[in-house]
Amino acid sequence: MSTALYPLASLAQIRNTPSRADGIPEDLELDLRAYGCKLIHEAGVLLRQKQVAVATAQILFQRFWYVTSMKQFGIGDVGMGALYLASKLEECPIRMRDLINVYDLLLQRAAHKLKHPPAPAASTSTTLTRTVTHDFKYVPMSYFGSTFYDLKDALVVAEMQILKRLGFNVNVVLPYGTLVNYLRLLGLTEREDVSSRAWGYLNDALQTPVYALYAVPTIVSAAILLATRHLGIALPSSPESCWWELFDADWEDVWSVAGYIMRLYRERSPQDQARVLGLVSKKAVRAWLDDHQPIAPRS
Amino acid sequence: MNYVQLEKLGEGTYATVYKGRSRTTNEIVALKEIHLDAEEGTPSTAIREISLMKELKHVNIVRLYDVIHTETKLVLIFEYCERDLKKYMDVHGDRGALDPVTVRSFMYQLLKGTAFCHENRVLHRDLKPQNLLINRKGELKVGDFGLARAFGVPVNTFSNEVVTLWYRAPDVLMGSRTYSTSIDVWSCGCIFAEMISGVPLFRGRDNQDQLLHIMRIIGTPDERTLRKIATEGQTEGQAQKQYPRYPKIPFTQVLPKASPQAIDLLERLLQFDPAKRISAAEALQHPYFSTNTPIYAQPNPFTPALTTPQYANPYANPGSQQYQYPAAQEAQRAAAQTQLALAQPQVPGAGYGMQYQAHQGHQPQQGFPPGTR
Repeated sequence: MSTALYPLASLAQIRNTPSRADGIPEDLELDLRAYGCKLIHEAGVLLRQKQVAVATAQILFQRFWYVTSMKQFGIGDVGMGALYLASKLEECPIRMRDLINVYDLLLQRAAHKLKHPPAPAASTSTTLTRTVTHDFKYVPMSYFGSTFYDLKDALVVAEMQILKRLGFNVNVVLPYGTLVNYLRLLGLTEREDVSSRAWGYLNDALQTPVYALYAVPTIVSAAILLATRHLGIALPSSPESCWWELFDADWEDVWSVAGYIMRLYRERSPQDQARVLGLVSKKAVRAWLDDHQPIAPRS
Repeated sequence: MNYVQLEKLGEGTYATVYKGRSRTTNEIVALKEIHLDAEEGTPSTAIREISLMKELKHVNIVRLYDVIHTETKLVLIFEYCERDLKKYMDVHGDRGALDPVTVRSFMYQLLKGTAFCHENRVLHRDLKPQNLLINRKGELKVGDFGLARAFGVPVNTFSNEVVTLWYRAPDVLMGSRTYSTSIDVWSCGCIFAEMISGVPLFRGRDNQDQLLHIMRIIGTPDERTLRKIATEGQTEGQAQKQYPRYPKIPFTQVLPKASPQAIDLLERLLQFDPAKRISAAEALQHPYFSTNTPIYAQPNPFTPALTTPQYANPYANPGSQQYQYPAAQEAQRAAAQTQLALAQPQVPGAGYGMQYQAHQGHQPQQGFPPGTR
């Protein structure tokens, strides 16, 4: 009953997420979750918001999709609501107008990118958000225009829905302190390359649902596993003395988290990359579902 | 709504509190209505209060029974208490000062409630007589968690704007943002002194004045302590600030009515250096609480007229003057009370049924399906 407890999704919620029940394929849902988190991250950077608030927002965002379908709410609105809420929770509140302006910019840029896709050669391995669009010009909304009020309403509704649907379980435990402790225990604090790599994996993992699926020690173990493997550092891994057991992590779980993280870096086709750009709103998701009627929901 | 709204009890900056009665159990409750304005969304005070209080179930903490969420407002349903400690002291005190038996009982309950918060990693951050509620049975309950927050690994810096000035710890006054449970302990100390004397101990006009008021009584700490607090609070520049060197005034002089043991406890609660302040759990072990007079057998502080059996509190135990504490009564109470019904579809959307399983940081997980996916 400690408030240090944090909620994780149940097996039933994982097996059939609300979005999947509505016919959204699993890979599309994962792409949209990742894209929604990238938007939160980008907005956080533009707002110079603290990383604790941004990470908290991304975790709340991931939890939300285990209780709500993307057909009901758009990833843009919910991301905005999550960042607004997390900023309150972490005691670094942001102005609604600033947040709305920043999201408006990000969404306009996405729409622009969708209309003017970069030349295929240029988009080989770079991630979507990193491709620079040179000819994009942001048109600020008018101060009293309806865009602002529409976005504001959506933001207030999204914040309230997150609270309601998560039953006010908004406690989030971030992994950074745990990582520092574990690295110390493993005697790896001298290796700056290990800590910064593992730290980076923890941040990238925020784009995946793992923080809503696994306990923090498991996720941190996965980040350490990936970092040490990439750098060729051997840690005790033979039965009886496996390092992850020190942190109460199961190998299968650690491996699964590592899989979620590595999946982010796989090659994507330009079509896949462009697909999410057009599906930020629930309206677009509904239209997509209508167009893809014959595809039966997977399992 | 499942509750009948009765008379208005009070109005705060963001909420109005009404007395209410449950249609199903007839129980008297307090209804706190929070209006949702479109300018700021859901108030952060309400978010904190709900997310923290729904987990804190203890006799000495006001129980949050239920939350009703509608389009325009949020209604929190709380356990009903007759009055707050401030009013209690005005009505029952001798010019505000309470008798030693009551002081000890209230202090014990205050520390119990505070220790429970801290055990569950919650900082209250706004303990003051107005936020401590007293019911007819003489039970003290910590309320108003609008400024509370959960704390964990101390990587976060917290807001510096917490705790009503008079009950604010000196380290917070000096700009500390990495404070912890010791900030609530300081407030407990201030409340303790106020119950004994009837007047607030340190009554400053502003931040700086408050700090001087504190130093005038407990003395200016040595240069090293000041520097340590200033650097811990990441407020470089503050250390150079010169404070007048006040000598310590013995508490026996400030509070002539207090017993030696009360003075000793107060001394430990009101340590300038947060690292030297006693914890709430330790304070409960202090000899002040374990002297011959049994602490629970206090005479009921309310007039007999109020405790007649007509009082329809299902948990009241009118036959007994004994203040039962805590396990048996608490279990009884828990069984009788409605659970916080967040999971009930009071609201369309029914997303409340989220069957999240709770996991704690370093505990081996239970009930988590390993590798079944």
